[in-house]
Amino acid sequence: MINALETTQLSKRYGRHWALQDCTLALPAGRVGALVGPNGAGKTTLLKTSVGLLTPTEGHVQVFGRSPVKHPTEALPRLGFVAQDCPLYKDFSVADLLTLGRKLNPRWDDHLARARMQKLGIPLDRRAGKLSGGQQAQIALVLALAKRPDLLLLDEPLASLDPLARREFLRTLLDATVEVGLTVLLSSHIIGDLERVCDYLIVLSASHVQLAGDIQETLQAHKRLIGPRQDVEAIARTHTIIETSHTERQSTLLVRTNGPLSAPSWDVQEVSLEDIVLAYLGQQETELPSSSPLAQKQNGMEVVQ
Amino acid sequence: MIWVTWRQNRTESFFILGLLALGGIFLLLTGLSMTNTFQQSGLSACLTRPNPLTNCGGLGGAFLDHYGSLVNYIGVAVLILPVLLGALVGAPLVAREFEQHTHLLVWLQSITRTRWLIMKLALVLGMGLLVGGALMALLIWWYSPFAQLSGSFNQLAFDFSGPVLIASTILALALGIFVGTLTRRTVFAIFLTIAVLVAIRLPVEIGLRPNYQPQITVTWSFAQGDKPPVTLKAGDWNVGQGFIDAQGNKTNDVHVSGPQETLAQSLQADGYRGYYLSYQPADRFWTFQWIETSIYLIISLLALGATVLLVRRRMV
Repeated sequence: MINALETTQLSKRYGRHWALQDCTLALPAGRVGALVGPNGAGKTTLLKTSVGLLTPTEGHVQVFGRSPVKHPTEALPRLGFVAQDCPLYKDFSVADLLTLGRKLNPRWDDHLARARMQKLGIPLDRRAGKLSGGQQAQIALVLALAKRPDLLLLDEPLASLDPLARREFLRTLLDATVEVGLTVLLSSHIIGDLERVCDYLIVLSASHVQLAGDIQETLQAHKRLIGPRQDVEAIARTHTIIETSHTERQSTLLVRTNGPLSAPSWDVQEVSLEDIVLAYLGQQETELPSSSPLAQKQNGMEVVQ
Repeated sequence: MIWVTWRQNRTESFFILGLLALGGIFLLLTGLSMTNTFQQSGLSACLTRPNPLTNCGGLGGAFLDHYGSLVNYIGVAVLILPVLLGALVGAPLVAREFEQHTHLLVWLQSITRTRWLIMKLALVLGMGLLVGGALMALLIWWYSPFAQLSGSFNQLAFDFSGPVLIASTILALALGIFVGTLTRRTVFAIFLTIAVLVAIRLPVEIGLRPNYQPQITVTWSFAQGDKPPVTLKAGDWNVGQGFIDAQGNKTNDVHVSGPQETLAQSLQADGYRGYYLSYQPADRFWTFQWIETSIYLIISLLALGATVLLVRRRMV
């Protein structure tokens, strides 16, 4: 199966600062992926590099098997991108923006664009700058969707929206992904928003990929173990400990299981996606960057080829 | 992309077209009035005679007195207009996209950013070419009475009597676009564009222009009187006149030590050798026009090439 998006040891440096380092991941076609990480983790850089806005310092990006930087005329019609804060030409009317989309895109679906605007109740003759932030975000999304892309990337699309606008935005997005076989990657610094719509998770922290994989499998593989402190060693022999906290007599571990878990002395609990993400982000702070992502990728289910 | 560029620059375009229309009407009205006076007073007929009297018996002087100040205003306006175009159309062209992050929208449509830039450049520079060309044609017609009286080869009329006007318009736009792309900030780019244009055009016009070809210099002694032994034709450009000092150098800055009856005697007593007059003959006019046009166009090409490189390097 061909991956919609694939990066191989992708690195991007601005001057002396590495915004992204050794980032290897794949987003299979048809998935709705969540790209999660704290502010400054490199999410925007990863997205911009993926759509060819930035050239990688090292490594490769492939969109459906082709480099968006080397073959922009092939890649651009297949890519949709909603940048942070959903930039629009503020003095254009909504109709003007749709005309822009029609004039610049061979695959443009004018019917879809107009139908969505109508459904959202956005008047076509209004200037984009006069509309609310939520409506501007919706317009940016519709512009990207009406391009009929195969891969849609959205950079923090929900950050500036109120809860109601968030829900409507996600609904528009979900409708579109159901209608056509669209692959989506959304970035956010919080997972909560995305959990309902996404089925794939990529955790990025301190310019490194910490975790990448199917959300269901990730949830099944991660467990919280509470048990005697002296038994931690035994667990660590077969499973990967992501997070540990100790009290005097007992330890609480968040582990990724690498096979069947037989730990009679441990109390095994399910964990939420948010806890998993936080554990991976917390791990980054306490360990050296080189020890975590690569080493784990070798033996875990999150191996990305 | 044609439509998009037009839509983005609609307001500025209307503003500039309005300004040009007003200027055009003003030129047309004053031009017609001047042509009329020029014909009615007999000045035109006098100048076409094989050996016209000096100033056609006062007619020329009267005409210049009446309309001369207009030429000064127009000359200044013609210097300012390209700067205005460069600052208001050129500088924001790319800078505003970066500033409002709309490049992130438009670069992800189905055209490459290089094509996007080339289309933008072609349209804006094409407009500059048309505006400059139309203005040049109008001004050559408008200035024609003066051209017959005193020629177009002088510091003021040179700017609008040939392709230099088109080239300076292109230069202003190209530099504006480059500065805007480099700085990514509209307001800063507008002011920097004005500064850069002044820093390029001032030295070219004052320092280089009189010297595209070696000036012809006539010298004569104090004994021959202060009238030059040659008479400049109407189309010759009088670049400068003054005195020859003891070392044989041209100077306008003279210091007289002893009291003598006339300035010439005082200077002679102090070792000055005589008078000089430097000029560029009328038949060099087009050579000079093309030299200056080339200078401006080469700088424009460099600026545009650098702009394309900046955009292609994907430093977003």
